[in-house]
Amino acid sequence: MTKRRPISRPPVFIFVGAIFGVMYICLPLVSLLRKISWGSLLSQLTDGPTLSALRLSLVTSIAATVLALILGLPLAWVLARVSFRGSYLVRAFVMLPMVLPPVVGGVALLAAYGKSNGLIGALLFDNFGVQLTFSPIGVVIAEAFVALPFLVMAVEGGLRAIDSRYEELASTMGANEITKFYRVTLRLLRPSLVAGIAVAWARALGEFGATITFAGNIQGRTQTTPLAVYLLLESDPQAAYSLSFVLLVVCVLVLISMRDRWLGSKR
Amino acid sequence: MQFRRLLIALALAVSVIASLAGVGQGEAAYQLGAPEKVLQGTITVSAASSLSESFVEIAKEFQKENPKVKIRFNFGSSSSLVAQIQAGAPSDVIASADLSNIEKLIKSGEVTSSGYPKIFARNQMAIAVKPGNPLRVKTVGDLRNVKFLSLCGLTVPCGQYAATVLKLARLNINESKITRAVDAKSALNAVSIGDADASIVYLTDVLSAKKSVALVKIPRALNVDAIYGVALLRNSANREVAVAFINYLVSAKGQELLQSFGFIKI
Repeated sequence: MTKRRPISRPPVFIFVGAIFGVMYICLPLVSLLRKISWGSLLSQLTDGPTLSALRLSLVTSIAATVLALILGLPLAWVLARVSFRGSYLVRAFVMLPMVLPPVVGGVALLAAYGKSNGLIGALLFDNFGVQLTFSPIGVVIAEAFVALPFLVMAVEGGLRAIDSRYEELASTMGANEITKFYRVTLRLLRPSLVAGIAVAWARALGEFGATITFAGNIQGRTQTTPLAVYLLLESDPQAAYSLSFVLLVVCVLVLISMRDRWLGSKR
Repeated sequence: MQFRRLLIALALAVSVIASLAGVGQGEAAYQLGAPEKVLQGTITVSAASSLSESFVEIAKEFQKENPKVKIRFNFGSSSSLVAQIQAGAPSDVIASADLSNIEKLIKSGEVTSSGYPKIFARNQMAIAVKPGNPLRVKTVGDLRNVKFLSLCGLTVPCGQYAATVLKLARLNINESKITRAVDAKSALNAVSIGDADASIVYLTDVLSAKKSVALVKIPRALNVDAIYGVALLRNSANREVAVAFINYLVSAKGQELLQSFGFIKI
């Protein structure tokens, strides 16, 4: 344990800056609450198109998180534990969707998995009749594309923080690779894995640009909650505000639950 | 060291972007002894996305005649532009793909009676399909055979016009086959770069995208008359230039330019 240095009081302007920082984020969110008509909140959320958007969002975002987990866990492992030439390049590419405009991500996905001129998509369609675009699976692909880096980042950080002596110890005690993975590594990794899953899921849930570009905006089929919010803003603003509120609450809950994992009993 | 490298990279990126945007280019030559009052300053024109190509060209010509004027565009669906303006977005001119969005602004007071609301162009709808027309769409009725049809949202003018076209053809397409785009340009993009089989958008948009889509015309009897309106906004910070631009649109030169993009004479 490192000894904590005594905390010196920061200058006043730092405090003022911090207050503005908090306000900058919170003011718009709190203002949003004012727009919501609480009396009709429930009826708006259970209305046909809104309900189907919420349902679709729930299903696709969970599926996208699972996909991100399947692809992200081994990837994070390699990035954290294997040293190879150009690993920084691999990392840079994997992190790209975090900073890339999502629409560009959507266009790139079309170039790869599009039915008409996608690199793989055309093969899939011509040989198996599979069309990923305009399908819920397309939504999952778009969401996982933007969510994956968040998962990889959290898990890689977690893996680096694990003291590898625990795993070595398990080996000397006769544990095979699989037992070692389940009983030792995964257990030690749990806090960062949960955090990674939570952020990846929240990001998948909020995905807009890549989804509308790649999977389209078909009501009941590919119209997720963020897409519905955008379209409803003009036709039915109240419903849009209600849906935004749901997304906001979910994201706040995710972050609060992560706080418990990170700063609660473990530390 | 890391930090320094980052700074250099940032500086490089900024300078590249700045040079692309033409920042730092010499000021246009100062005009001496202009006979009448020289128009100058910047205006922001909020325009329907279907005007993107034509307005950029028109602005170029307008700026040639008025070198001290700069025109900035804010393209989007007419209905979203109206919402932005009503929410206080600074803009001098609104050019909408229909008249009802201008009426909305008159009602909310953003366009006053001195706002010169004018009709400046007319347009039609057309069908865009994949190059080579693989599904052999020849009429609106043939759209029943497509798998995915890309249309604008129903609150957007091009979505309403498309709905009228379908209604005139007595064609009822299930919503589960319709992907809704935010404006005319993105509706067309779903066909040109995406996997939508067809789209009903403005004829001018299909003509502009001739390389990436094929055009199927819709006969007059089944078509709509899309009337484009332009108006000066109450909060315009540069009324002189804004009014001059509006007048330029309806002038012979402006009309000629609009028609070269496929718009119909007013």
